[in-house]
Amino acid sequence: MILPTGVVVGLVLLTIGLTGLFLARPSITAGLTGKILAFVALCVLPALCIAAGMSTHMQRSEQTQFCISCHAMENYGKSLYVDDPSALPAQHFQNHRVPPDMACYSCHTDYTIYGPFKDKLKGMTRIYMQYVSTPPNPITIPGGFKNAQCLHCHLGARAFEENPVHAAMMDSLKSEQTSCLTSGCHDTVHHASQVDHLKMWRPGP
Amino acid sequence: MKLGAMGISRLLKISSVLIIMGLLLELVSLLWLHPLSFVLFAFVAASLIGLGVVVYLISVVFVASAPAGRLG
Repeated sequence: MILPTGVVVGLVLLTIGLTGLFLARPSITAGLTGKILAFVALCVLPALCIAAGMSTHMQRSEQTQFCISCHAMENYGKSLYVDDPSALPAQHFQNHRVPPDMACYSCHTDYTIYGPFKDKLKGMTRIYMQYVSTPPNPITIPGGFKNAQCLHCHLGARAFEENPVHAAMMDSLKSEQTSCLTSGCHDTVHHASQVDHLKMWRPGP
Repeated sequence: MKLGAMGISRLLKISSVLIIMGLLLELVSLLWLHPLSFVLFAFVAASLIGLGVVVYLISVVFVASAPAGRLG
């Protein structure tokens, strides 16, 4: 279940209030009601706060704003606004082929049951590189960008399946033998290093 | 020092302080949209809250059975 951040903040404040009661007057636990209240305030509610906080953080980490808030990702965020019809991420973002507020996550998660957790672990590695070691330049995806991430949405779509080029190599695309990106067909991706010199698209008000 | 001798009120206070510190850090992490906010939540806030809950449970298991008269 996904709770709005405001609800989680309210739950945390309520728990702080109740817990503060036991900090000020621990003798409340002498009675049965106090013991039950202590169990709720010092065990049940904190556990709920951890679960709700984790859920909120997982949900927030899927947002475009979250991804590009990291310094190393700034240019990748800017590249979504490049005014170039051949730029794959920019076209997906600008034409809402992916939800604009979840643009990074839509193409970079692996859509498995543990996908979000695996993404978090990868993210932790990137945080380590950012703050402890040195981020690679240019930033690369370990193992390369998988076709499965494209096919998650495009497979079954009429325009994709009826395209004669796609139809001719469908098995090869599905088995990852031919890459959508590096085979030369859709190789214009993020212009991260040149983004400051390119024409940019400005969304209307 | 034995846990029983420490007294339930002391353990409750330690537990409360740990939980409140963890919850305050969770609040900060919720209001801060940055990759480090997840680190702050997962490694610091959740650990403090979890530790506070464990201290409370220890007080229930090991101290509640001790002779009365240690409260307050």
